[in-house]
Amino acid sequence: MDVQLKRGLLDICVLAAIKDEESYGYQIVKDMKPYVDISESTLYPILRRLETAELLTVRSAEHNGRLRKYYRITDAGLSRIQAFKEEWREIMSIYSFVTKGDPETHG
Amino acid sequence: MDKKEFLAALEARLESLPESDKQASLDYYAEILDDLIEGGMTEQEAVASLGSVDAIAQEILMDIPLPKLIKAKMKPKRRMRAWEIVLIAVGSPVWLPILIALFAVALAVYVTLWAVVLSLYAADLAFAISAPAGIIAAISLFVSGKPTAALLFLGAGLVLAGLTILWLLLCNLTAKGVWQLGKLTLRGIKACFIRKEGK
Repeated sequence: MDVQLKRGLLDICVLAAIKDEESYGYQIVKDMKPYVDISESTLYPILRRLETAELLTVRSAEHNGRLRKYYRITDAGLSRIQAFKEEWREIMSIYSFVTKGDPETHG
Repeated sequence: MDKKEFLAALEARLESLPESDKQASLDYYAEILDDLIEGGMTEQEAVASLGSVDAIAQEILMDIPLPKLIKAKMKPKRRMRAWEIVLIAVGSPVWLPILIALFAVALAVYVTLWAVVLSLYAADLAFAISAPAGIIAAISLFVSGKPTAALLFLGAGLVLAGLTILWLLLCNLTAKGVWQLGKLTLRGIKACFIRKEGK
């Protein structure tokens, strides 16, 4: 897949992973793994990027006698997901037009 | 490799980073390792699951903005010796102009590329303006009883209208190309800085 596209998609996936409740690095990777190929080391720059863009906020809280960072989505982050959904609705309809009549894509 | 060794190795590779960025990266990986161990892995397994330290350091460094990277790198790791300072000062009439010239040339090339893009857009604007002008001229010629000339102008106007659209596509393509080129160059420069750091 196109590198630039994949980068953008991973950003959205991370936002989606924290959209209902705040989460932490290990949990985010665990939640995403069944759907997307991601590792802890790929997640790190994404989290930093999203924090800089103010799409999420970070707070530290104690867990088992150590600090853990929790990431919470912002309103800007939520509207980013919304924009993504609208964009992809359009792309999916183009996709179904392009693959119309292809025997192998049925179902 | 256990957790302590991994973090020490990572810290060594991130030496050129500003303190706060370095600490944030180390904190993140310490937290991930703790969580992996809590999830049932041994310390060794947890470290092994992260992959190579070099790749991790590379990824972190690539994400730091270039100016920050240069600034952190300019900070000497040891105190300079007196003769080094003298040499740099004495040599400054030579290396400073060369450095400035290099920057100026790079900047000039970049500006020139954008000038080409700008001129393409300017041409497109000219087409866009002359297309309706041609059609208006055609109408006025037709009204004043010169149908042959009117037809000629009408044709020219329509051709220009079509050209406006095609030309705009060309403009956008060129602008995108120059933009990508700039980004690639920046990445290349960044990679130079990082690779030297790893050695």
